[in-house]
Amino acid sequence: MASTTTTTTLISEKQETVVTPPPPPPPPPASAYFASDAFFRVLLLAASIVAVVVMVTSKETELVLVSRFPFPVPATAKWKYSPALIYFVAALSTAGLYAIISTFVSLSGVFFPAKSPKLFLVLALHDTIVLGIVASATGAAAGVAYIGYKGNSHVAWVKVCNVYDKYCRHVAGSLAVGLFASFVLIILIFLNVTALYHRAPKL
Amino acid sequence: MEAQYDGVKLKEVAGGRGRAAAALLRAVALVLTLTSTLVLALDKETKAVAVTIGAITLEIPVTAKIKYSSTFVYSVVVNAIASGYGALSLLLMLANKGGKVRRATLLLVVGDMIMVALLFSGVGAAMAIGVIALKGNSHLRWNKVCNVFSKFCHIGLASFGFSLGASIAYLLLVSIAVFHLQK
Repeated sequence: MASTTTTTTLISEKQETVVTPPPPPPPPPASAYFASDAFFRVLLLAASIVAVVVMVTSKETELVLVSRFPFPVPATAKWKYSPALIYFVAALSTAGLYAIISTFVSLSGVFFPAKSPKLFLVLALHDTIVLGIVASATGAAAGVAYIGYKGNSHVAWVKVCNVYDKYCRHVAGSLAVGLFASFVLIILIFLNVTALYHRAPKL
Repeated sequence: MEAQYDGVKLKEVAGGRGRAAAALLRAVALVLTLTSTLVLALDKETKAVAVTIGAITLEIPVTAKIKYSSTFVYSVVVNAIASGYGALSLLLMLANKGGKVRRATLLLVVGDMIMVALLFSGVGAAMAIGVIALKGNSHLRWNKVCNVFSKFCHIGLASFGFSLGASIAYLLLVSIAVFHLQK
């Protein structure tokens, strides 16, 4: 009895396979791309948080000789005193928020691969915009920090890093991490573009 | 299925018109970066500035030059690199008719992306110094410069505007290329 039923089922399966058309070739696994994509997004989040925290904690008070007073007076250096550093903090905060949102988008690509080509496109476009923001902020903050470090004798902008050494170390560390965030974004865009490239049909 | 539907829809967007727009954007970016480089590199102004030494006040001619600020030098170099890349990429794109060599398309996307990063950082750096030159920074006692050298500052501002336009053009180029890869 049992053997006859199995043979009948086998036959019916065979018939089904003959009747149904062959399935289309499976696309290359998108979830692998999304896994590494999500990893780099978490790295971007970590880099933005570190950059913002290190920049925000860069307050330093030193005794400075001011021409109005004959004795040294305490003067404070803060990141809020420079518009470029404010822009840097705002930009890196934006990048961090974007990293959180896009990590979830990327993870949705791991679990629901059907929508992946559209996701690659959306992520690549937004990554490029965020790259523009982070790169300009890093450039702006680095430009100001360089004058703080070296000064500019032509326009009599004195250097401040010989006085505020801890402050400058914080700014420099934050800038390095911001630069690292730009590189992570470049890797992310490259990853998404490569994924699109490999998934697109050959001409 | 939905993805395929999107692919079909995007194909219409990123067809021949997308390619023509990309070529046009590349040409515009080339012109903008070249103009920005030349305008900023030749920016120079000499003014008589009153300098007080002790009891004597002298009027000394002082020159404002791009060379005096490393940030502006960086901006000029970045724009020069971008114009060189712009010319090369335009040639590569025109040689690669109809996007036949797909690897070239990928190369152009990566190049455009690096230009986005470079140009935006150059514009950001120059603008940050420009803001200090315009407003000064009382906390650090960095005095403003643009009240004296107004022509110098205006020409610099124009150059940054051109450079910003070029960075946005490269941003759009990356977007168009990504749409193109989608098809």
